[in-house]
Amino acid sequence: MSRFRPNLTPCNRTRREFLGNLGGGFAGLALADLLHAESGTPHFAPKATRAVFLFMNGGPSHVDTFDPKPELDRCDGKSYSGDAEVGSNGRPIGNLMKSPFAFKNHGRSGLPISELFPHIAKHADDLCVIRSLHSDTAAHASGCLQMNTGAISIGKPALGSWINYGLGSANRNMPGFVVMTDPRGGPIGSASNWSSGFMPASHQGTLFRSTGSPLLDLATPKGTSDQTQRRGLDLLRDLNTKHLATHPEMDELAARIESYELAYRMQSEATDVVDLDRIDAKTKSMYGMDNPLTADFGRKCLITRQLLERGVRYVQLYSGGGHIEETWDGHTNCITNHKLHAGETDQAIGALMTDLKRSGLWDETLLIWGGEFGRTPTSEGVGKFGRDHNWQGYSMWLAGGGVKGGQAIGATDEIGFKAVEDRHHVSDLHATILHLMGLDHERLTFYHQGLDQRLTGVTEERHVIREVFA
Amino acid sequence: MRLLVSIGVAFAVPAFAIDYEEDIKALLKQRCVSCHGALKQKAGLRLDAGSLIHKGGNDGPILEKIILRVSSRDEEERMPPEGSPLTPEEIAALDEWISNGASFSDDEVVPGSPESHWSFQPVKRPKIPEVKDKAWIENPIDHFVLAKLEEKGWSPAGKAEPRVLLRRAYFDLIGLPPSIEEQDAFLQNPDLTRVIDGLLTRAGYGERWARHWLDAVRYADTNGYERDATKPFVWSYRDYVIDSLNSDKPYDRFIIEQLAGDELPDRSSETMIATAFLRLGPWDDEPADPATDRYDQLDDILNATSQAMLGLTLACARCHDHKFEPLLQKDYYAMVAVFNPLHRPRAGRTELAIPAGTLKEVAALETRDKAINHLKEVFEQKYLQSGKSKLPRDVVTAFLESKTKEQKDLSKKNRKQLDEELAAAMPQDEINQLRQNRPDLPRAYTWQEKSNAPPKTHLLIRGAPGRHGDEVGPAVPVILNSHQFPAPSDYSSNRRLGLANWIVSRENPLTARVIVNRVWMHHFGHGLVRTPTDFGIMGETPTHPELLDWLAHWFVHDANWSLKKLHRLILQSNTWQMASNLENRAYLQSDSENRLLWGQNYRRLEVEAIRDSILAVSGKLNREMHGPHTYPSIPPEALEGHSDPEAIWKPLDEKSASRRTIYAFVKRSLMLPMLEILDVCDTTQPSPGRRVTTVPTQALNLFNSEFSNRQARHFAARLKREAGPNPVDQIRLTYRLALCREPTNDELDSIGNFLETESLEELCRVIFNLNEFVYSG
Repeated sequence: MSRFRPNLTPCNRTRREFLGNLGGGFAGLALADLLHAESGTPHFAPKATRAVFLFMNGGPSHVDTFDPKPELDRCDGKSYSGDAEVGSNGRPIGNLMKSPFAFKNHGRSGLPISELFPHIAKHADDLCVIRSLHSDTAAHASGCLQMNTGAISIGKPALGSWINYGLGSANRNMPGFVVMTDPRGGPIGSASNWSSGFMPASHQGTLFRSTGSPLLDLATPKGTSDQTQRRGLDLLRDLNTKHLATHPEMDELAARIESYELAYRMQSEATDVVDLDRIDAKTKSMYGMDNPLTADFGRKCLITRQLLERGVRYVQLYSGGGHIEETWDGHTNCITNHKLHAGETDQAIGALMTDLKRSGLWDETLLIWGGEFGRTPTSEGVGKFGRDHNWQGYSMWLAGGGVKGGQAIGATDEIGFKAVEDRHHVSDLHATILHLMGLDHERLTFYHQGLDQRLTGVTEERHVIREVFA
Repeated sequence: MRLLVSIGVAFAVPAFAIDYEEDIKALLKQRCVSCHGALKQKAGLRLDAGSLIHKGGNDGPILEKIILRVSSRDEEERMPPEGSPLTPEEIAALDEWISNGASFSDDEVVPGSPESHWSFQPVKRPKIPEVKDKAWIENPIDHFVLAKLEEKGWSPAGKAEPRVLLRRAYFDLIGLPPSIEEQDAFLQNPDLTRVIDGLLTRAGYGERWARHWLDAVRYADTNGYERDATKPFVWSYRDYVIDSLNSDKPYDRFIIEQLAGDELPDRSSETMIATAFLRLGPWDDEPADPATDRYDQLDDILNATSQAMLGLTLACARCHDHKFEPLLQKDYYAMVAVFNPLHRPRAGRTELAIPAGTLKEVAALETRDKAINHLKEVFEQKYLQSGKSKLPRDVVTAFLESKTKEQKDLSKKNRKQLDEELAAAMPQDEINQLRQNRPDLPRAYTWQEKSNAPPKTHLLIRGAPGRHGDEVGPAVPVILNSHQFPAPSDYSSNRRLGLANWIVSRENPLTARVIVNRVWMHHFGHGLVRTPTDFGIMGETPTHPELLDWLAHWFVHDANWSLKKLHRLILQSNTWQMASNLENRAYLQSDSENRLLWGQNYRRLEVEAIRDSILAVSGKLNREMHGPHTYPSIPPEALEGHSDPEAIWKPLDEKSASRRTIYAFVKRSLMLPMLEILDVCDTTQPSPGRRVTTVPTQALNLFNSEFSNRQARHFAARLKREAGPNPVDQIRLTYRLALCREPTNDELDSIGNFLETESLEELCRVIFNLNEFVYSG
């Protein structure tokens, strides 16, 4: 066995890729392989073994959140004359607009955070804000795709798929990649944001609902008693086992028998995850579940903690769903928009951070906060309060396992249009996330269409942002 | 924790000897061979075989220098020049291997030159090999397979039982189980050829095999991205594929129509609809960068053509010469030049489908529509002047005069209302007459060439749309035989026709091999080449190269590109008819993937066949063919992740939703959950074949979903109706309908026991979930 790539086949593919590519598996494979329960082989010691992507869908404004711009305050109301591309899709262009939100320095590090996030600000010393990100597109669909899959075209595996492919499952009773969307709808592009692309379907994100039955078809059908359900599964196992005698060589069939038992256990385990009755009122209140504004995201963050406890590798939470003002897409009035969406999420995110620290999961969990792009320092239309899309410079933050908190990396220009110092493409962020999880973005490859494909693409050189690391 | 264990392994100090094949060769192949291999020999050096590494390059031996070069701190000096430097572990392994004499196996094969790669050689008909066990031979296929087995001293598996063969033939050819009557007829007269011939004449054959083709050509009903708009009339292409297969259209003609149906001298609405192939890819109607987007669209067409039809990964040569195949960047842009004249018919973000027919028919339709418009205009004037309109006077004047901007705006605003009035007031006789004389044409979802003068095409340096290199004309990859493109016609560049004619020419070494391999794959679970979209150097070599060539040659020369003849030949072979219980431990140990074909493969059915079978045995399968897509019901929870949960799915009545799965709406942003979970292919790329994964969410779907439970109720009702009240009769009928066999006594006991407390519906649900129900072969 090679020490550099797991199980190389003669055609330079790992055995896992090989099977995935060929379909129709055959005898001789370990049962565990077929259920994707084996742990993968990280390239080096991971700092974090799980990740939570808090996806602020629609594009939060960096100059109103984590990137204070005193010069913008001074230029408020003036027209913009720099060389950044302003606005998207022919929308009206207004004048420069200062942030109505006050920034304050927080923690020992003095990291500036706007008043939109009083709860997150309490963890300022844990946040590593990257202020110099840029991407390739001004549109939501391709922007969400790029943030999730590295590419602006559909059909590529999501970050969560790559992490699960690289690290393997830690709990076979639960899906390894869980997505929870906003009650107002999913992100634009929907499932293509958590698709496994050219990887096997077992790596795709699974939609998880925070109320009712969490997974599609998880619940025993209406009108079927638990006893009947169990008796049905017993008969199925009995008949399948008899049939297995005709094809004893096929582990694939044995794996399929086992998958029904896993499903049965998933039924109780996944249902447990969303059953918050056992959680004390104080904790629920900490997550904001006693306030209608914060209850939904609070519930999701609390469930996220429970998912992490059960070994789910990657959880993605969407704040905002559907279109325009129902998301962070503050075209009409960015001020009320961000007050609403920050108000819905800040407390719960702060609570999740506190809770992870308390439960000991903090050191092995990576938190990622941000959207598909930022917003313009100009208003959308003269005298209006909206902001348009800005992909030329924006902020995101990382926190948790392996991350050096209390710092801001890189900078946008004086008024916040373009990333100018330590510029980092989205793919650099992806390389950094993989690195924190023990995976080398250049070596984590999946053979497809004649190429060893990577999350960070194969054409451009991408770099790990080393300043992030503790 | 398992994870810690594996980290421990990853960091272990090398305590075991370095293995050239596993450690060194893999590393060199991944990091060095693209510049120092058979394709390119920078500094005259090759690192793709031990003997060549020892030989060195232009400057003599290099073994001593390797470690210096890979560990240099000087970026100019360090190898490899691209990507991250080798890791300390990798360098240590190389060092150790070299210090220990850089040994390699004596029988290591030095890779040949790319020109000599097997799939680029002309297809010749190999001699049929002699075999010892002549009694086993049914047709030439068996010679090739048996000869290889005999070489190893192995013997093939025995023939499968008749009921197994019958079920296998049904699933392979039509994707549905045989009825009781069909089972009885076969068991009385087990003439498989008659069954095969009968199945090949059924409409279900086209429905089954069209799905395989749709996988290969990235079919979907929508564009993906933000609006994920429905591709208008794209379903007529799906019907075209079904009908073409059912009529056994020769494969060469099938290819030509899809690439160039509009450029054919005998163009028709059918051949126009075929060219929807070109437009099936995803499309962002709000592209981040329109210039790049244009090349992305051309790339999509090029990629679908080269992978599905030629088994080449030409799209890898967009930014530079292919790193592993003898395909040049120039080859890529020469192919771009073929598709560059195409335009997407659209009105802003709205895509259009165009009338499909002969040039004469399309022209006549245009004339008719002009005449109708003229009638309407004349009537409109008269109507407005007559004072009959209910519109305010100033609006009427605005329509009549249409001089000032205000008047034009006013007209625009009131257009709809006026049209409604006109529609009610205008006598339709004359228009109806015109329509009757010249009926509408079908519509094709296709690209168009606007003239016969193609735009210039340039090679793009590093693939960047702004950076023009040399101008290129249409051509085929230089590694393959050259080809003369035809002159333009009066209305089209004829470049696609030129390409299509080359693809299906008898001299093309790839086309027949690729399709024969795909057909083989669907009859055995694996192709003879196990990378069906990649026949290049990076693809796998055939398990039975002579058989592949024999079949390809026979397919073109004897079968005249008839797919049905190919199915017939394969299914009549003893190879296909072997049993699939592969219990020989010795064989398994040495050939666990059954590459030598010592038995048939037991295969999980594709999700479409599983769903269709459930409907078939429940008695609810609606066999209506063709037409716009259907919407099987989706639970509301599954719509939750979508940005427009209300608007995207229009559930139909149960009967329409119970048609074969090939008619179900394929929405790129919302796949039917059952399909998505059960390994439907990615719709954005040509698929090399379905994967088989086994995960618990599949069990949840098949056991708990509304669909399974509803069909279980229908199945139970059918059983009661057809078998009567006796449980044993009911169980027997269940088994015959669902599994094509009688239950064993043991099974009867288990089920009888179950039915003492549980209902027949519950049994039916269990049956749909049996391994035996979802596997065939």
